[in-house]
Amino acid sequence: MNDMRILERTVDTNEVKIVAKGVQVFYGDNHAIKDVDVDIQDRTVTAFIGPSGCGKSTFLRCLNRMNDTIDVARVEGDIRIDGEDIYDKRVDPVQLRAKVGMVFQKPNPFPKSIYDNVAYGPRIHGLARSKADLDNIVEEALRRAAIWDEVKDRLSAPGTGLSGGQQQRLCIARAVATEPEVLLMDEPCSALDPIATAQVEELIDELRQNYSVVIVTHSMQQAARVSQRTAFFHLGNLVEYGETSQIFTNPQDTRTESYITGRIG
Amino acid sequence: MTDASLPANPAAPETRKSVSLVAPDARTQKRKAAEARFRMYGIAGIATGIFFLVVLLSTIVASGTGAFQQTFINVSVYLDPAKLDKKGNRDPEDIKKVSTFGYTPLIQQALFDVVETNNLETPLAKRGDMKALISASAAAQLRDVVLENPGLIGETVDFRILASSRVDGYLKDRVKREDVVRDKNIDAEHLDLIDLLVPLGIVEKTFNMDFVTGADASESRPEAAGIGVAMAGSFFMMLVVLVLSLPIGVAASIYLEEFAPKNRWTDLIEVNIANLAAVPSIVFGILGLAVFIQFMHLPQSAPLVGGLVLTLMTLPTIIISTRASLKAVPPSIRDAALGVGASKMQAVFHHVLPLAAPGILTGTIIGLAQALGETAPLLLIGMVGFIASNAPDGIASGLLDPNSAMPAQIYEWAKRADPAFYERAWGGIIILLVFLITMNTIAVILRRRFERRW
Ligand SMILES: Nc1ncnc2c1ncn2[C@@H]1O[C@H](COP(=O)(O)OP(=O)(O)OP(=O)(O)O)[C@@H](O)[C@H]1O
Ligand SMILES: [Mg+2]
Repeated sequence: MNDMRILERTVDTNEVKIVAKGVQVFYGDNHAIKDVDVDIQDRTVTAFIGPSGCGKSTFLRCLNRMNDTIDVARVEGDIRIDGEDIYDKRVDPVQLRAKVGMVFQKPNPFPKSIYDNVAYGPRIHGLARSKADLDNIVEEALRRAAIWDEVKDRLSAPGTGLSGGQQQRLCIARAVATEPEVLLMDEPCSALDPIATAQVEELIDELRQNYSVVIVTHSMQQAARVSQRTAFFHLGNLVEYGETSQIFTNPQDTRTESYITGRIG
Repeated sequence: MTDASLPANPAAPETRKSVSLVAPDARTQKRKAAEARFRMYGIAGIATGIFFLVVLLSTIVASGTGAFQQTFINVSVYLDPAKLDKKGNRDPEDIKKVSTFGYTPLIQQALFDVVETNNLETPLAKRGDMKALISASAAAQLRDVVLENPGLIGETVDFRILASSRVDGYLKDRVKREDVVRDKNIDAEHLDLIDLLVPLGIVEKTFNMDFVTGADASESRPEAAGIGVAMAGSFFMMLVVLVLSLPIGVAASIYLEEFAPKNRWTDLIEVNIANLAAVPSIVFGILGLAVFIQFMHLPQSAPLVGGLVLTLMTLPTIIISTRASLKAVPPSIRDAALGVGASKMQAVFHHVLPLAAPGILTGTIIGLAQALGETAPLLLIGMVGFIASNAPDGIASGLLDPNSAMPAQIYEWAKRADPAFYERAWGGIIILLVFLITMNTIAVILRRRFERRW
C-alpha cells in the first residue's frame, strides 16, 4: 500500500539547500556523529531514520546550532546553508534559528496562552506590523498546523493545558509562524493520534512547496509517506542516503535492509 | 535476544505458589509495619514541633501583651502663669527658658487637688508625695503642649499623662505589694491611693499606641519607651537590603546559571557563595565595621551601614535560592525559545525568569526576614543602645542618622535592669514576629499568585 504511494511520487530535482561535509559531534568523549556527509535539497522533505540513540536528533540539532547550548557538545566539520558556513564565527545563531525552525521531540509549549505561543516568534522578529497582522499570522500558523478548529475559541487559554498531541501541533504552529526557510522536525508525530498524524503529514507535504523540511521519525511508513529523500543512520554513521523509493524498495546496504524490515533497532 | 529469555526458567509455572490476596504474606506485613512505623515517627516529630511552637507563642503572648497597655492619669492641670511665664508677655523665647522642672510641681499639684477634692483617705499629705505616681516624662509632655500653644497658659487644661512604671506595673500585676517594701521608688501608701483612684477613672489602663510608634526612653522611664523609631530603623535597613540585594543577587544568579561558562572558576565561585551563606553573621558585622565605617568613613550606627552589612549577609541566600529556581525551569522551555530564534537573553527574560519568579521572590522575602531578625552584626556597627529622641524625617535622615533596629532594641531592653523594660522586650518580640509572619505570608501569597497563572 505504501509502496504504491512512493512510486507515484515524482521526485523533484531541486537545488541543494544544506550541504554538510565531514560532520563529527562529540558529547565529551562520546563520539555521537561520525563523519557524516549529507546534501539536503530545497523544497524537499528529507527523512532521518535509524535505531534509537544513533544520532538522528544530534545531527538535526547541528543544522540550527542547538548543540551550542549543550556544554559538553563539540561539533566539527562543515555545514553550509545556501553556501554560507553556519559555524562561521560571524554567524549569529539567533539569526540562523529564525531561518531554520525546529519542532522538538517532546512538545514544549511556553507556559503562556496559545496565542502568545504562536505570536512569540513573529513578535521578536518584528514580522507583524499591526495587531490585526499578528492575528492573521497566528491564525494562519494554527490552521497550517491543523489545530485551528480545536483552539480558535480559547486562544487565551494556556498552551500547557492542551493534550500532548495538541501541544505538539501548537509547537509546529509556533515554528511555522516565523516563516523559516528550513523546518527541522524531531519526531513531530510521536505523541499524535493517526488523524492528527495524517494532518501533520499533510502540512509537511504542503510546507514542501516553499521550505526544505527535515523530519526525524521512527515510523517507516511515515518516512515513506512524506519524504522524498531518506537518510539512514546507524551508530552515528550515515549508512545510506538516497531517494526514499530507492531506500525502501532497493536498499544498497544490508544494515538498511535489516532495519527497514525490522531486524535491527 | 527475545529468544534467549525463553528457556531461562521453564519450570517456573510448577514451582510458583498461588498467593491469596486476602491473607497478606509475611513480606507484605513487614512492609506495612515499616510504613506504619515511619508514619508514627513523622507524626511524633510534627507533634513535638507543634508543642514547642505553642509553648513559645503562648509565652511570648503572655509576657508581651502587657507592653501594649499603659497606665495613664487623667488630670486637669492649671497652667500657672506665675510659674510658666513670669514676665507675663507670652514670649515663646521666655517660655522656652522654663525647663521641665517648672512643670513638675503643676502636675503634682493637679493630682494632689484630685485627692483632696475627692476626700480620699491617704496618709500622703504633701504635693510632693504624688511624685512616685507620675512618670518623669509627664512634665516634658506638658511642656511640649504649652510651647506649641502658649495661649493655654493661665488656663486649666485636661491632660492624659503617663503614670510611673511602678503604678503601671501594679495595675499589670508586675509590681506586687510584698516587693514594694524593698522598693524606694514607691510605697504601700501609694498603692492604696491607686486603688482609690482607679474606680474614679483618674488612673486608667488603656491601649498604648505610643509603644508601637514611639522612641526608646532612658533607663528611668520605661513607661515612655516605644519601638517605633527602631521600627523605622529596621524599615530603612530593609529598604537598603532590598534595593541592593535583589538586583545584584538576581543578576549574579542569572549570569552564573545561564551565561557563565561551566569551568573551574565558576565552580570555585559557586563553592564560595555556598560557604558565604554559612558564615556567622557576626563576621559580617565586623567586616562592616572595618570596611564601611573605619575605611569608608560612613556614619556609625546608621541604617545605611546596617543595610549594607545585612545585604552582604542576604546576598548568598538570594543567589542560592534564585539559582535553584532557575535550575528548576525545564530546559525544554529554553530550547523552545531558542528554537524560534530568541536570543539567550530573550529566552531568559521572556520565559525562564517569569517561571522562576515565585521561587526568587520567596527566597528574597525569606532572606529579608532573616535580615530583619538579625542582631549580632548590628551590635558591632553600633546600632544598639541608642536612645532616639526623634523619628527620622525623610529618607536621607532615615538612612544616615543614627538609629537602632527592632531586634537590637529588643536586646537593649532585655539587658536593662527594670522589669518594665523586660515586658517591653517581649512586646517588641511580638511586633517583630508579626512582621516576620506578614512577610512570610506575603511570600506564600506571591508564590500562589504566580503559580496559579498556569
Ligand atoms: N545532551 C547530551 N549529552 C550527552 N550525550 C548525549 C546528549 N544527547 C544525546 N547524547 C548521546 O548521543 C547519542 C545520540 O543521541 P541522539 O539523541 O542523537 O539519538 P537519537 O537518534 O535521536 O535517538 P532517539 O531516536 O531515541 O531520539 C546517544 O548515545 C546519546 O546518549
Ligand atoms: Mg531523538
